[in-house]
Amino acid sequence: MIGIEHYVVVSAILFVLGVLGIFLNRKNVIVILMAIELILLAVNINLVAFSAFLGDLTGQIFAMFVLTVAAGEAAIGLAILVIYFRGRGTIAVEDANRMKG
Amino acid sequence: MIQTLAFYIFASLVIASAVMVIMSRNPVHSVLWLIVAFFNAAGLMVLVGAEFIAMLLVIVYVGAVAVLFLFVVMMLDIDFAELRAGFVKNFPLGLAIALVLLAEMVMGLGAYKAGGMQLGTPDGTAAAAVGASNIKAIGALLYSKYLFLFESAGIILLVAMIGAIVLTHRQRGDTRGQVISRQVARRPEEATVNTQPEVGKGVQL
Amino acid sequence: MEFQASLALVAPELVLSLSGLALLLAAAWGGDKASRLISILAVAALVGAGFLAAPALCNGASGPDTLAFGGQVKVDAFAAFAKLLIYLAAAASLIVAPAFFERVKAMRAEYPVLVLFAAMGMGIMVSAADLVTLYIGLELNSLAAYVLAAFLRTDERSAEAGLKYFVLGALASGFLLYGMSLTYGFAGTTSFAGIHAALAGDMSKGALFGLVFVLSGLAFKISAAPFHMWTPDVYEGAPTPVTTFFASAPKVAAMALTMRVVVDAFGAQVQAWQQIVMIVALVSIVVGALGAIGQDNIKRLMAYSSINNVGFILIGLAAATQQGASAMLVYLAIYVAMTIGGFVAILMLKDANGEPVEQIAQIAGLSSHRKVLAVCLAMIMFSLAGIPPLFGFWGKFLVFQAAVQAGMVPLAAIGIAASVIGAFYYLKVVKVMYFDEPANVAVGKSDWAHQALLAICAIFISPLGYLLTGWLGGMADKAAAALYFVG
Repeated sequence: MIGIEHYVVVSAILFVLGVLGIFLNRKNVIVILMAIELILLAVNINLVAFSAFLGDLTGQIFAMFVLTVAAGEAAIGLAILVIYFRGRGTIAVEDANRMKG
Repeated sequence: MIQTLAFYIFASLVIASAVMVIMSRNPVHSVLWLIVAFFNAAGLMVLVGAEFIAMLLVIVYVGAVAVLFLFVVMMLDIDFAELRAGFVKNFPLGLAIALVLLAEMVMGLGAYKAGGMQLGTPDGTAAAAVGASNIKAIGALLYSKYLFLFESAGIILLVAMIGAIVLTHRQRGDTRGQVISRQVARRPEEATVNTQPEVGKGVQL
Repeated sequence: MEFQASLALVAPELVLSLSGLALLLAAAWGGDKASRLISILAVAALVGAGFLAAPALCNGASGPDTLAFGGQVKVDAFAAFAKLLIYLAAAASLIVAPAFFERVKAMRAEYPVLVLFAAMGMGIMVSAADLVTLYIGLELNSLAAYVLAAFLRTDERSAEAGLKYFVLGALASGFLLYGMSLTYGFAGTTSFAGIHAALAGDMSKGALFGLVFVLSGLAFKISAAPFHMWTPDVYEGAPTPVTTFFASAPKVAAMALTMRVVVDAFGAQVQAWQQIVMIVALVSIVVGALGAIGQDNIKRLMAYSSINNVGFILIGLAAATQQGASAMLVYLAIYVAMTIGGFVAILMLKDANGEPVEQIAQIAGLSSHRKVLAVCLAMIMFSLAGIPPLFGFWGKFLVFQAAVQAGMVPLAAIGIAASVIGAFYYLKVVKVMYFDEPANVAVGKSDWAHQALLAICAIFISPLGYLLTGWLGGMADKAAAALYFVG
């Protein structure tokens, strides 16, 4: 069987890609939301891999809760994005200077 | 052997598609690459014997989350070229930071140190029963030990539902809604009228 | 039997969730016309939950009897103390909401329901004894909070506040989760007690990474520098009743959660987190004090003041002693009163048409036409600065005392010096109100509920508050003893 290190490395790479995605696409909120989903995917891979290698199901249950919350989070995030777009006509966050940063 | 091969295929595909998610010019492509990433991550999970979570990942993400993203991308009429303006400018610095972070994490975790990683030792309260399938074992644990959190997670979904509706639902003045009580209470006598118009006169309503 | 005992322990959460569900139905049938009634009922539910939570605090409950659901939830005196503060703050934000939202015809019956569910989530957060419980409680609170920030959906500032809060909040949750997954792997368990046992002795690099990620996620939630960027924007953009809520209840919950995590789960590795907490505390104090100086919007000013106060509270955590924890709890109780009072006073600043007044320049000479309001606001500002006759001083004093007794004289000295710098911007508001040419903008009448709430807060933070020091200190000591209970 493949060692746990490999899984942790894959997960670390995914996590960093998610953070990088947020950094690169600072204007595009939709891609930012997808990058956050990548971070959560990294977490899930970590949890499931640890769970399997520890022989302990807590990690898989945790991953299930993460999935549940991620689905709810995506729904709310996109709802906020929709009302933001309705008011502004764009989804660029750097335009957001109704308030000084 | 075949397992090692499968691992490397899934792992390289999941990373490649994650790169495409954040680099694509078109957000619709990003969503599609996200789906690929989730499929391959599900493959990784199957390899360690967590088939239930793997299936959930496909059902919840591909079936719900990714479709939701696609829906919003297509519903909002967004000028995506404008949104990529800062991309090239941020790229070198972002990449440098990401590489440093990654190198630190991999080294720090000691992933490639001789002898592998020292994981903790579980207390055994959540160990899978001998001979039970993955889904049975998860179910047995979820509905007993994790009952309270399971119910609370239900409340989270409820809050997400209330929130999404409260924010986006609009009462529009220019549409006519269905009034079921009026529909049901309506009798044939009120609905139809017999008239006998003269030839060439038409009906006055 | 064990299940029934567990259910009895989480009775406050049951009351909140059941009344939330019932009020949701009432909201569906009654529509937005019923929102005042639903708000009143929601406040009643919070009071009821408070009465169910209070006995644990009065008895100083601690130890194995307080564990519910196989050790995932810990309903001890510490949790009860935090819950009472949270419920009070949530009730206050419900009481001030109708008058504000009805003016712009945006009062929705779902507002009290969301606040109830958020309060339930915060109750779960502070009684977490397991990483999974922590996460569920935190997200229940956060999801409701994202919606509340964007609640004035036709107002662009509110939508923007919601979006910023959401994006940064989700990112922080991601960091926190990644840290929790590493902690789980390297400790082999998600229960705080198990992690404590597993990390005794040498800490592996992986667990250290987990700790750092967990702490940065939590620092975001308490809006400590350097993870504070969202605070001014969200506080300014969110509707003021929601800001009242954000600045009080979730802050108590996240702070109590942080205490629980570092003491319960990482208590065996004090030296690993103590320095991080010290640096975060000092940076928060300085950033809060310096950032406030150029602000001309009073809600942004309050945001920086909250960052500053979080820094002072964290000094108590850096002491890493039971006394420090007790000082933090007293400070939190006083902070909640000050911050609710401050935002209620801001809600009462209205111009002749009832439009909210938020610019500091517009409240110039407030003392000439709204004497009582000006006195209250001045008291709150002095109290936030920690100027002695007022009760705000007591919290700072206890925290510094704990730091000094833990041998951290330099930390306390820097903190005291920074609090003198910080006093500047609070005094500026007082100067504008009392000595500047009257602008006569904020002349609008205010709601009686606002006046009553402001009066209560003002009395609490006035020197009369010192009459409560014995009682409050006793309760905080019981709670801190429960937090540090070993057995």
